[in-house]
Amino acid sequence: MKKITRRAFSVLLLSLAIIFGMTVFVLRYVDEAQTWALRFSRANAGAGGELLDRNGVVLASFDASRSAFAEDGEIRVACYHVTGDYWDRTGTGALSAYWGDMQEYSLLSGTTKKEPKRFTLTIDSEICRTAYFAVGYNRRGAAMLMNYKTGEVLAMVSVPSVDPINGESAVADTAFINRCLSASFPPGSIFKLVTAAAAIEDVPDLFSRGYTCEGQYTIGTVDIHCTGVHGTQNVRDALAHSCNAAFAQIAVDTGYNSLYRHVKAYGFLDTLELSGLRAIPGSYRSEYAGNPELAWSGIGQSTDLVTPFAMLRYVAAIANDGVLVTPHLILSDEPAEQVRLVEESTARELKRMMSYTASTQYNPAANFPGISYLCAKTGTAELGDGTSHAWFTGFLDDSEHPYAFVVLIERGGGGLQTAAPVANRILHAAIAAE
Amino acid sequence: MELGMDQLLTLSKLLLIALSLLIMIRCVRSMLSSGYESETWGRVRFGRDGTDVTHWENLIGRARSCDIRIDREDIARLQAVLRRFDDGSWRIYDVFGRGGVWVDGSPAGEKGLEIEPDSVIRLGDTRLRLQDLSAEARDKLDAQRTFAGKRVSPALTLCELTAFQLLLLFQHLLIAPGDKPAQIALGFAVLILLEWFCYYAMRLIGRGGFEVETLAFYLTGLGVSVTATAAPQDMFKHTVLILLSFVLFLLLGLWLRDLRRVEKTRAVAAALALGLLALNIFTSDAVNGAKSWLSVAGFSFQPSELVKVAYLYAGAATLEKLFRRGNLYGFILFSAVCVGALALIGDFGTALVFFLCFLVISFLRSGSLATVVLAVSGAAMAGFLAVSVKPYIARRFALWGHVWEDAYGAGYQQTRALGAAAGGGLFGKGAGGGWLTEVFAADTDMVFAVICEEQGLIIALCMMLALLTLSFFAVRTARRGRSAYYSISACAAVSILLAQMALNVFGSLDLLPFTGVTFPFVSRGGSSLIACWMMMAFIKGADTRRGGSFVVKTPAQSQRTAPDSAPKGRAAPRSKGGRR
Repeated sequence: MKKITRRAFSVLLLSLAIIFGMTVFVLRYVDEAQTWALRFSRANAGAGGELLDRNGVVLASFDASRSAFAEDGEIRVACYHVTGDYWDRTGTGALSAYWGDMQEYSLLSGTTKKEPKRFTLTIDSEICRTAYFAVGYNRRGAAMLMNYKTGEVLAMVSVPSVDPINGESAVADTAFINRCLSASFPPGSIFKLVTAAAAIEDVPDLFSRGYTCEGQYTIGTVDIHCTGVHGTQNVRDALAHSCNAAFAQIAVDTGYNSLYRHVKAYGFLDTLELSGLRAIPGSYRSEYAGNPELAWSGIGQSTDLVTPFAMLRYVAAIANDGVLVTPHLILSDEPAEQVRLVEESTARELKRMMSYTASTQYNPAANFPGISYLCAKTGTAELGDGTSHAWFTGFLDDSEHPYAFVVLIERGGGGLQTAAPVANRILHAAIAAE
Repeated sequence: MELGMDQLLTLSKLLLIALSLLIMIRCVRSMLSSGYESETWGRVRFGRDGTDVTHWENLIGRARSCDIRIDREDIARLQAVLRRFDDGSWRIYDVFGRGGVWVDGSPAGEKGLEIEPDSVIRLGDTRLRLQDLSAEARDKLDAQRTFAGKRVSPALTLCELTAFQLLLLFQHLLIAPGDKPAQIALGFAVLILLEWFCYYAMRLIGRGGFEVETLAFYLTGLGVSVTATAAPQDMFKHTVLILLSFVLFLLLGLWLRDLRRVEKTRAVAAALALGLLALNIFTSDAVNGAKSWLSVAGFSFQPSELVKVAYLYAGAATLEKLFRRGNLYGFILFSAVCVGALALIGDFGTALVFFLCFLVISFLRSGSLATVVLAVSGAAMAGFLAVSVKPYIARRFALWGHVWEDAYGAGYQQTRALGAAAGGGLFGKGAGGGWLTEVFAADTDMVFAVICEEQGLIIALCMMLALLTLSFFAVRTARRGRSAYYSISACAAVSILLAQMALNVFGSLDLLPFTGVTFPFVSRGGSSLIACWMMMAFIKGADTRRGGSFVVKTPAQSQRTAPDSAPKGRAAPRSKGGRR
């Protein structure tokens, strides 16, 4: 018997394994219970909540038995990437991001019942609707509009989008991705705004230099083609012409270190946040790889990638003399935090250049009727397969209508032809909504 | 009024936790403080030396691990098995086939020879005499042992348990009476009455050991609470099942009292186990990927649950049989067929439980040489398990540790379980106040999370503690078991319960792959409940404390022979006449 019963400790090994498992669970519980609980606690705590746009339009409302969205189908689709859904299908929706704030949790009593929580967003659902249809439901792209004086984001639209009340069968490919925050694209010529800023600060005699364009620029064995033959120009005209040959030279004059430092300082490589919604970082060569690559990177090609949101922040800072009023999504009476992103003199110079560009090159009277003080830059980012992303970004230098915007149409062709009309419609919607 | 209700609810939550902890502490204390003094059945004399015989089955030899150690050169390390029978007769077996075991000049052989009071036993060159105790002497010795339940009153523990269950009922009626409040109340009432009936019935027959029953009733009560939340419409059925489980527990316990009867029917149990599995394979349809349900006359049950009991019944063995290699191979084959059949059925979780139980039993019974064979066969069975893994099981393995990455797909159940468990906090939402029960299979596979949500983390951990306590108890009592059969089956029973609990709890919490086995006593499901209660009978079978268990006869009872002869307290053990 002894021989047998001595071996009974093998049962205790099983017990020990269980005690070990319990310990692991309890430790995890202490650490993560709040995350676990708040993920699903809506029905549990019985608390409801509402997500409204700045005009009180209901974007989402829920309680213990109900998970609803905006009644207007177009609004539902246009605002989907702002609202998100109850099932976390898009990583960047307000419902996902603010879920925890709509509940209360304590380790002792778990989720606790709470008064219905209401979040009012800075979003204007009507501008979003306009932006959604301006981008075009059958295209792919993104558009954002913000007030650069207050930091309020008025529109954030990503196409294709999703009607959250439908199942997933009819959802277009990549529709769950918020292209404003969660996708980065080759910027093309809009990146010249960054190269120009670096050059303004680090090339001492920049404005007295002349840059010659003969339709292409050869650097080493690499030919950088230009859209035209621009002759000899100063940096202002080079930006207005969006001259690749000139900006290739400017990039080389500025040097890799200066460019990299500016790209980084302007937040293009950071994991940015928009009121708790995370944006992915963009990219820029992390090491000098020779002048040809430097030249390419100075005109927004090479390995350059930016998110529309990062670009919007940058132009918003330029519009506000280099000070960025932190873009945000939740409407609040408190003034938003301000940070200096761009040197004041640099920002003023860039603003002048963008204004000059828009007024001399974009024919505002015809393309932007009724809109004044447009400062902007187009981008046509070549993808190497004959197609290009169309960009248009800028702002109105107008304290009555302090709007900064960014528009991207994937594989949309020329920035001025494709993206600028979208920006025009969004700006009109914003002005009309005031 | 509203405020008053809230305060009442909070108070009841705190009381539930306090009672829960008290019950656990009292059960643990009772088990720790109980005297586990050996029983004494006789004395073996060799020369001037002698050793008390403290079990019914004793290994004789030179090795330290022998129960009757005779440290002489002429005796092998393991030489013989001396066994006492229920009727007071003794036999000695030459189980190791070495020869050298004689009774009155005849070689004992594997079948053994009966030892008469005046028999002379010879092991090697050593002459032994077996000195039986008189009934009076035995009673006197027995009276010196501690009475079970003397130090920690089981009645008080039961009072606390009753209060615990009444509070659960109170919460149900307060929070979510639903449309079946009467049935819920009836369920709890029947359970409480059953507990007290059990207690008084045991006192009536002189038994005071009540820890095992208390823990089982504690868990059963939580099971009633789960059913009341998740499926109040099945409350009545569940109540009936509890009664049935308890009756089967008593019947099996009474049946186990007579070891010879059990030994004769082990083959029947093995056949029953295989038959049930075969029936399962050939007749049931797959439900949720596993063909583990069988419908008979409108009642559906899981044969694999009952097979567990039959497997224990057939898998444990008495000492003199354990050392025969043929028996060991038979056991391995039997286990392999059971595990294989379960794998075929697709009941991966239960197959795993069986496999763990097989490992425990085989470790308990295997001698030095056989360990190797067992390990190899064990590995082969594990290999077979792996091979027979079906796609949906493979998916569960792939998901393991990544449930949050697919919270709306494959990880749906576990993420909900974690969310709900965390949502309850330490104190819980109150019985009936949770939402997890709306999720599929919450009341079986994710029952830990249901209790965690409704009663809080502390009580959920107490629920696990209850089974852990039971396992420590079984291991402790197994040392004093009269027969290897009882010790092995008790250890195997708790190992099944522990394995089930581990797979159930850790599976639902994403610490192990989700296999969908039941939490003993608490998960809803009749077959599981019945099997768990029947396994309690095995645990009771090893409890030899004085007045410890109704499954164990008092020394006086086990003295008696045929009902017609032998007045109580015969001085000498019986002659061989009436034994067969």
